[in-house]
Amino acid sequence: MAIVKNYMMRSLNSVSYDDKISDAIIYMHKTEMPILPVVDEENHFIGTIYSKNILKNIIPEQYGFMNSQRILYDRNQAAETLAEIEDRKVEEYMITNTETVFERDNMDKIADIMLNNKESYIFVTNDEGYLRGYISRGDLLFYLLCTTDDDNNF
Amino acid sequence: MITTVTLNPSIDREYFIDEHKAMKDQYIYDEEDLKVYPGGKGLIAAINLKNLGYADVQNIGFVGGKQGLFFEKMVQDFNITTNFIYTSNEMRNNIKIIASNPPSNTLYNDYTYSVSHRSVEELKKRFKRSIRESDLIMIAGSIPDNVSFDIYRELIEICNELDKNVYLKASGEALNRALVAKPKFVVPYFKHTHKILDIKVDKKEDYVKMGKKLQEKGAQYVIMPFHTNRILFDKDGSIYMLSPRDYCIRNLLGAGDAYNAAFFDYIYQNGFDFIEANRYAAAAALDIAEHKLVFLKDREEIEKNIDNIVIEELEGR
Repeated sequence: MAIVKNYMMRSLNSVSYDDKISDAIIYMHKTEMPILPVVDEENHFIGTIYSKNILKNIIPEQYGFMNSQRILYDRNQAAETLAEIEDRKVEEYMITNTETVFERDNMDKIADIMLNNKESYIFVTNDEGYLRGYISRGDLLFYLLCTTDDDNNF
Repeated sequence: MITTVTLNPSIDREYFIDEHKAMKDQYIYDEEDLKVYPGGKGLIAAINLKNLGYADVQNIGFVGGKQGLFFEKMVQDFNITTNFIYTSNEMRNNIKIIASNPPSNTLYNDYTYSVSHRSVEELKKRFKRSIRESDLIMIAGSIPDNVSFDIYRELIEICNELDKNVYLKASGEALNRALVAKPKFVVPYFKHTHKILDIKVDKKEDYVKMGKKLQEKGAQYVIMPFHTNRILFDKDGSIYMLSPRDYCIRNLLGAGDAYNAAFFDYIYQNGFDFIEANRYAAAAALDIAEHKLVFLKDREEIEKNIDNIVIEELEGR
């Protein structure tokens, strides 16, 4: 059946809203995840922290976002700014209006959310709002491949 | 959600060869002769529980380095919910060489994994927020290098604070210190040292004495391995000997983990009954031991063995 549960990654790797920004960065690096779910003291999903949001906050605004030559040129300034915010809490930089899905949701819903919101990861919760895992663009593409390939022999 | 904890997991590799000989190169061409799977007592119990039909089973612990990413993917293949703290150092790899001519079994056990203080603090924080949905927590296995022997005590104290019961399978100093926090169920293991609470055990009387000692120090119930038997120490002071009968052991790998998982399964299915939960657990262990399996398949196989588990009282309350 084409429900989220059959394609998701059952991972509770997450940060807490009161973790430091430096904790989130280290965790993004170690898990190779540019986006992490943010949870409360009871592991309820409450939002998302994006590496690109952290970058936006440390790169001088006048240069715009993600201009790679400027990043290198001004890396000292970016590092200094990061040093200023690294002890701040994740809750200051997290996004709270992130859309989530349930394990029982149909995979077609994932396609809608990813295409409409340009999200590369969507987090999965249960009915009580506890984090259950995530589903990625790769998972969505794999689902689409399965629906078109009769053999499903991967 | 069922929670199991594995602080010192490993990537286990088994190589099946014809002859294990020094200075002889080996070439493996058949994938049947090379098996790679995730290892760790709490994790194997989690896989067993998943196989018995539980929807949400999580495993919490450390995983290390880039191999940690590979390890997590392997665990995901068993539909276990992973909750891992990623550490900087690479995790453990155990290698087993199984030769057929002559039959031999050589294990290279890796105990080099080391975890930083920062990761330990992160684990405790993550553990506290991740056990809210669980009533009974299984903590099992060894601890990595650089982690304080107080770690199990600290995790049990978190469980106590949140009114959760703990099933602890541990050894050595980590077990000694954990008893202060009064875990509900304690299963000591001692294959490296044959010591419990730093005292050597040999005869049945030694095991009985140390089981009582574990209770004096804080354990409420003790399940003491005694060769292929278990000595059961009830909270009310009575002691029982659990023994399998009419059996033929073909394999012991995974039997202990099946025992732990089935103990949980009985309680979730029937409510708590110390003696009957152990009978059912032993029937599960027997299923693994007699069939060269690593993981439990289903309850039907366990129930076939129930009548072959005998429990007799050694001492009344």
